[in-house]
Amino acid sequence: MKVLFPSTSKCIFILFFCLTFSANTFGQCKSFAKNVGKPKLGEFIHDGNYNATELGAGETAELYKTFFKGQRYRIAISKIESLPDIHFRLINDNNDIIFDNKDHNYTDVWDFEVESTQMIIIKIKVLDDYSSLTPNTSKGCVSVLFGMKKE
Amino acid sequence: MRKTLNQVSNLLISITIALLLVVSCVSDGKKSQKTEEEKIVESVQQVDSKMVEDFNKSKLIFYSLPSPLETAMLIKRSGARYDEEILNPVDNVTNYNTNLKMALNLGIYSADLSYTSLFDQTQSAIKYMGCAKKMAEGLSILEAIDENTIKKLEDNMNNRDAVMDIISESFMNSNAYLKENDRAALSVMVLVGGWVEGLYLATTLTNGSLENNRRLIDRIIYQKLSLITVLNLLETHSENEDIIYLQNKIGELKSIFEDIKIVNTSKVNAETDAENRITTIKAESETQITKEVFNRLLNKVAEIRGEFIS
Repeated sequence: MKVLFPSTSKCIFILFFCLTFSANTFGQCKSFAKNVGKPKLGEFIHDGNYNATELGAGETAELYKTFFKGQRYRIAISKIESLPDIHFRLINDNNDIIFDNKDHNYTDVWDFEVESTQMIIIKIKVLDDYSSLTPNTSKGCVSVLFGMKKE
Repeated sequence: MRKTLNQVSNLLISITIALLLVVSCVSDGKKSQKTEEEKIVESVQQVDSKMVEDFNKSKLIFYSLPSPLETAMLIKRSGARYDEEILNPVDNVTNYNTNLKMALNLGIYSADLSYTSLFDQTQSAIKYMGCAKKMAEGLSILEAIDENTIKKLEDNMNNRDAVMDIISESFMNSNAYLKENDRAALSVMVLVGGWVEGLYLATTLTNGSLENNRRLIDRIIYQKLSLITVLNLLETHSENEDIIYLQNKIGELKSIFEDIKIVNTSKVNAETDAENRITTIKAESETQITKEVFNRLLNKVAEIRGEFIS
């Protein structure tokens, strides 16, 4: 009993910790997008769409969006501090690379305008930190928000 | 004493097993907790495979539809007028009792709210925010729109930027709440409702003319691109009965949009202005729509929207 009781308590403590932590992390992507992602849009108005998820180093995601002629858009990509930088590219349906943030020091905010309405794919990848001896195995919230320039 | 301890330990073991079961259910396909050894092996594998691009790939796909706010901005920019008569009447709000109807009409009322706000119709905006709140409450999205949201809207009635910010935040709250609480199919229904309402407002505001407002017609034609996004979004929840119903409805629209042509007439070029941190995507395209196809589109959009708000 002496052995069982402490280990059971420990197990329950760990389980409660894990449950609480996972629930918080999950719910935190909304708060994260709201408190960290949205302010990056600056004077642009957020379109109201919620694109956020948990990603880890090396993981990728794609986002499909129609960019309308005459509207200036701002894209703001945010990640939790412990994750490596985010590499993102804009690609059209012919697979032409329209923009690569690698050419701009992995910037996380950029503006776009189209001269004719286009469906654009935004490919994002959390960089691998291969150079590190202790690779980053953590996961965390990543949000991709769009803002529109006010009139 | 020993018996009591045994009972306590049995109880704790039962709770532990129950919690383990809950955790395994909640995780919904995610990987189980890894041991330290597994993590070390995994990290070593990561280093060894560093030449492989996109290692540890976990591709996620997001489909981003024009939000009700974006659609309202596009309608306003096209020079269209304000017409309150074409909105979903506020009195209809008590008619919606199913999750499908409440979700669709949360999207529809959000689109109407955005439209009224952009045309500075503040009293109507407050009424439509009230309708959106009722729909959100019906869907048990308690934190999306509350009394405080309505009060904030009333306090900022004369500040359009603040009003747009409140609308955008309410929409994101509803979306995020549904997505993060395993009700993503409902969130898709909200988006589809908002998209159809935007299309309805735009098509109705043309008064059936292809010539009066060419910019507005262009906005409508290019919804052909968003339609692909709508169908892809619906496909991600195609096991859901309500989604199947929506797939059929949007499928009817698709067959009409197939008769509308969008042709790219030049290569896409991008010009980046690094100093001002902006990229302009240069391309030319031409569109073709006949009067007959336009009329079919108008009628079909009105029919589907009529069904949604009934």
